[in-house]
Amino acid sequence: MSNYSRRDFLAHSAAAGMLALQADRLLAADKTAAKPADMAIARWKGAEPKDATDPQLADIAGKLTQKAIEALGGMQRFVKRGDVVWVKPNIGWDRTPQQAGNTNPQVVAALVAMCFDAGAKTVKVGDNSVHAAVKTYESSGIAPAAKTPGGKMVFLEKQGFKETAIHGERVKTLMMYSDIIECDLVINAAIAKHHVLSNATLCMKNYMGVMDNRAPFHQDFAACLADLTRFMKPRLSVLDAVRVLKDHGPTGGNMEDVVVKSTVAAGVDIVALDALGVELLGREPGDMRKAQAIIKYAQEAGLGKSDYHSLALKELAVS
Amino acid sequence: MTARRPTLNGVLVRRTVQLAALVLFFGLIVSARRQGAAGASLWWQGFFLLDPLVLLLTWLAGHAVPAALLVSLGTVAITLLLGRVFCGWFCPLGTIHALAGRFLEFCWPRRKRPQHWSRWQLAKYYLLFAVLLSAACGVHWGAMLDPLVLLYRTTVTALAPGMQWALEDGSNVLGMSEPARQLLREHVTEVERQAFYGSGLIMAVFVALLALNRWQPRFWCRYLCPLGALLGAVAVRPLLRRRVEPASCNQCDLCGLKCHGAAAATPGGDWLAAECFGCLNCTSACRRGSLGFHLAWPWQASPGSGSGTALDRSRRRFLNGLRGIAGATAGGLAGMLLLRATPQARGSVGSENLVRPPGSLAEREFLKRCTACGLCMRVCPTGCLQPTLGEAGLEGIWTPHVVPRIGRCEYDCTLCGHTCPTGAIAPLTIEEKHATKIGIALVDHSRCIPYAYARDCGTCVEACPFPEKAIRLVDVEIQYHDGKRQRTKVVSQPVVDPDRCTGCGGCVKECTFKDEPAIRVVSANETRTPSAKPFLEMQQNSAAKQPETTTPPPGDNPYGGS
Repeated sequence: MSNYSRRDFLAHSAAAGMLALQADRLLAADKTAAKPADMAIARWKGAEPKDATDPQLADIAGKLTQKAIEALGGMQRFVKRGDVVWVKPNIGWDRTPQQAGNTNPQVVAALVAMCFDAGAKTVKVGDNSVHAAVKTYESSGIAPAAKTPGGKMVFLEKQGFKETAIHGERVKTLMMYSDIIECDLVINAAIAKHHVLSNATLCMKNYMGVMDNRAPFHQDFAACLADLTRFMKPRLSVLDAVRVLKDHGPTGGNMEDVVVKSTVAAGVDIVALDALGVELLGREPGDMRKAQAIIKYAQEAGLGKSDYHSLALKELAVS
Repeated sequence: MTARRPTLNGVLVRRTVQLAALVLFFGLIVSARRQGAAGASLWWQGFFLLDPLVLLLTWLAGHAVPAALLVSLGTVAITLLLGRVFCGWFCPLGTIHALAGRFLEFCWPRRKRPQHWSRWQLAKYYLLFAVLLSAACGVHWGAMLDPLVLLYRTTVTALAPGMQWALEDGSNVLGMSEPARQLLREHVTEVERQAFYGSGLIMAVFVALLALNRWQPRFWCRYLCPLGALLGAVAVRPLLRRRVEPASCNQCDLCGLKCHGAAAATPGGDWLAAECFGCLNCTSACRRGSLGFHLAWPWQASPGSGSGTALDRSRRRFLNGLRGIAGATAGGLAGMLLLRATPQARGSVGSENLVRPPGSLAEREFLKRCTACGLCMRVCPTGCLQPTLGEAGLEGIWTPHVVPRIGRCEYDCTLCGHTCPTGAIAPLTIEEKHATKIGIALVDHSRCIPYAYARDCGTCVEACPFPEKAIRLVDVEIQYHDGKRQRTKVVSQPVVDPDRCTGCGGCVKECTFKDEPAIRVVSANETRTPSAKPFLEMQQNSAAKQPETTTPPPGDNPYGGS
C-alpha cells in the first residue's frame, strides 16, 4: 500500500463516486418506470366558488397545486434530500390575494410543504417586490401562508444583486440575486395576469423578480425574457390561475377585473405553461398579440413548446 | 461622622432609570421601522407625548392642541413635585450628554473642577423666551431645538442608518457570522436600508453639541436646552428640596465636584431648584451626611438653600434680567424676520421640489406644526420621506418631503399621518389618501425613451399604482432616422392624466433612467394648495366627464387646507 499515492486516492475516490451516482440513477429509474407527465393542468370541478372573494378558494388553490405536482411525479422528482429550494412567487404589488395581484398564497404554501416532504433542507420564498417588500409580503398573504409549513421569507437586499454573465443574445450581463441562482432548485410560481405592456405576465416574466435594474427589458421583452429564461434553466414552473386578473395589470386593484378560473398548472416546459396562460387570459382575438410574440420568440429560441397538447399532458379534474 | 449615607443606591437607581429610558428611546425607534406593515402605534410617538415644550409651541404657533400631547402635562406635574428630574433621570439626550462628558473626561483627563452656578445658565431661559415669542407670532422653529426632537432626528437620519451600514457592511470585519447578520437584518434593522440627504449636517450639529461637554459638563442641558428652561421655570419651588445641615457642613465642596446641573452657587450653599436635575450625586458624595432632600411647600423658602440667585430680587440682578429679556426679544424677532423673509415662507410660491407627504396641511400651517422630528421619515416604508435642506426655506429645514427617486409614496400607506405627533400631517384614511394629490408627474420629452429615442418603454405605466392608470400609453406615429434614411414607426408614448395622478412618484422610482429620471413629480396640482392648481377638475364638468372613470372624484379634501 506504500505506493498508494495521493493521485491514486483521488482517482479511486472519483471512480467510486461515479459508481455511486450511477447506482442512484439506476435505482431511481427503476422506481419510476412509467414516464411521468411533463405538464399537468388541475381544474376544480367541485362546488363552484361564488366569486373571487370566496374563502373556499384558499383550500381549492392548495389542493389543485398538490394534485398538479403529484401528476408530474411528485416533488421528489425535482427536490433531493438536503436541497435548498427557492420558491419564486410574484409578490410584486401591495395587493390582497382577492385582488389577484400576486401569486395565490396557498399555492406557495402547498409548494413549500411539498418541498419539505420531499426532503428539502431549507425552502426560501422571496421576490424583488416593486412596492415596499415589508408591506407587500404581508398584504399579499404570502408571508403568513408560506411560514406555516416552515418556509423562510427572505427580503432581498440591494447589495445581494451581483452583475452576472448570462451570455444571452440581447443581454450579456444582468444584476442577478446570487442567493436565488445559487439554490439547488428555483420553483417559478407565477400568477396569470394581464399586463399593460406585454399583454400578459406569466412564468417567464416572473423571473424578472430575480434581477434588478429590469427597466430596460421593457424595450424588447421577447428577446430579454428569452435570455433570462435560458439562464435560469427552468426545471419546475407553476402557473396559478385560481384567480386571474383580466385587465388593468400588472397592478390591478379593481375587483371587476378579477375572474375565477380555479386552475393550477405545473410543468417542466415554461413556454407551454405561458401558452396556457395566454389562453386563459385572452378576452378577444388579438388582445394577447404581444404575449404571443414573446412565446413564439421563446419557442424559436428552443426554450419549449407553445403547443402544450403535444407534451405528455395530464388534465385533472379535482374536487 | 464619616459614614456615608446610603444614598449611593439612589445614584444607582437613577443610572438604571436613565439607561432604561435610553434603551426605550432607541427601542421605539427600531420598532417604528420594523412594524411598518402593521399600522401605526401611539408608542412610536412615546417620548414626544412627554414633552411639554412641543405641546406649548404647537399651541402657540399652530393654535392647536393635539390631544395625545396633553400627556406631557404629567411631566409638568412631576416637575412641580420633584424638580427637573426629567432632565436628570429620564431625558435620553441628557443621558447621552452625561455619557459624552464622562467619555471625554476618560480620553483627556484633567483636574476636576467644582461645578457652580454661572449667570450664563440663564441663557437657556432667554432662548426659551425668544422661542416662545416667535412661536406666538407663528414660527414653530423652536421645536427644532427641543432635546427629544433633536435626538430623534439625529438618530433617525444619521445614527441609525450609519449603524446599520456599519453592522451590515462591516459584519466581516466585526467577526459577525452570517446567521447573526441575517437575524439582525430581518429582526432589528429591517430590510430596506434608509439613507437621508443632508444627514451629515444633522450629525455635525449633534457632534458639536456633544463636544461642548468638554468645556462644561452637560453644556447643552445647563446653557441651551429650551425644554430644560421650561421645566426649570416650573421647578422654581418644587416640593422636593435640597437641605444642608449648616452645623456639619464644612464647605469641602465634594458635592460641587459631581453636580450635573451646576445648581449651587457656593460650596454647599445657594442651591437653585430650577437648575438641579435631582441626580443625587451631591448627597452620595457628602462625607459628613450634611446633605439631604426633604419636602417643603411652595410658599416655604428653604432654609440653607440659596435665596434664589437667578430670581433674586436685588436691583442689579433684576436689571440684568431685563437686559437679557430685551436681548432675547430682539433675537427672537430678528430670527423670525430672517426665517420669514423668504418666498417659500409666504406659502404662495412652492418650490417644485417640495412635495410634502400626503395629508400635509397647507404649507404655512404645516410649518407651524412640524417639529422636524423625523418620525414620519422613520416609519415611511419606502424611505421616500427625506429631510429638506433649502427646499422649504430656512424655516422649514429638515422637515419631510417626498423624494420619489429614493422611493414611491406607497399607494396603500398612511403611516406618516398616523404617527405625526403634532398633526402637521393629517391622519388620512386609505380612501382619502387615494384622492389626495401631493403633486403631479411630468414627462420630460427630451429624455423619455418613446419621445426622445423612438423606442418603446412604458416602465412608468407599469409602475403606476392606480388600477385604471394615471399614466396611459398613446400610440403615435413618429419619424426617426436609422442612419441610412428617415423612417416612420409607431411607438407608445406615456401621457399623464392630471385628474388621476396623485404624484406618488412610483413612475419616477421605476423610470429606466437611474440618473436623472425622464419623469418627475412636481408639487403643482397638490390638493393642499388650491390657489396653485393648474388644472380644472374634469369630473365636475358633466359635459367633459370621462366615461371610464370608475372612482369617485377627489372632490373637496378635508385636509387640503386653504
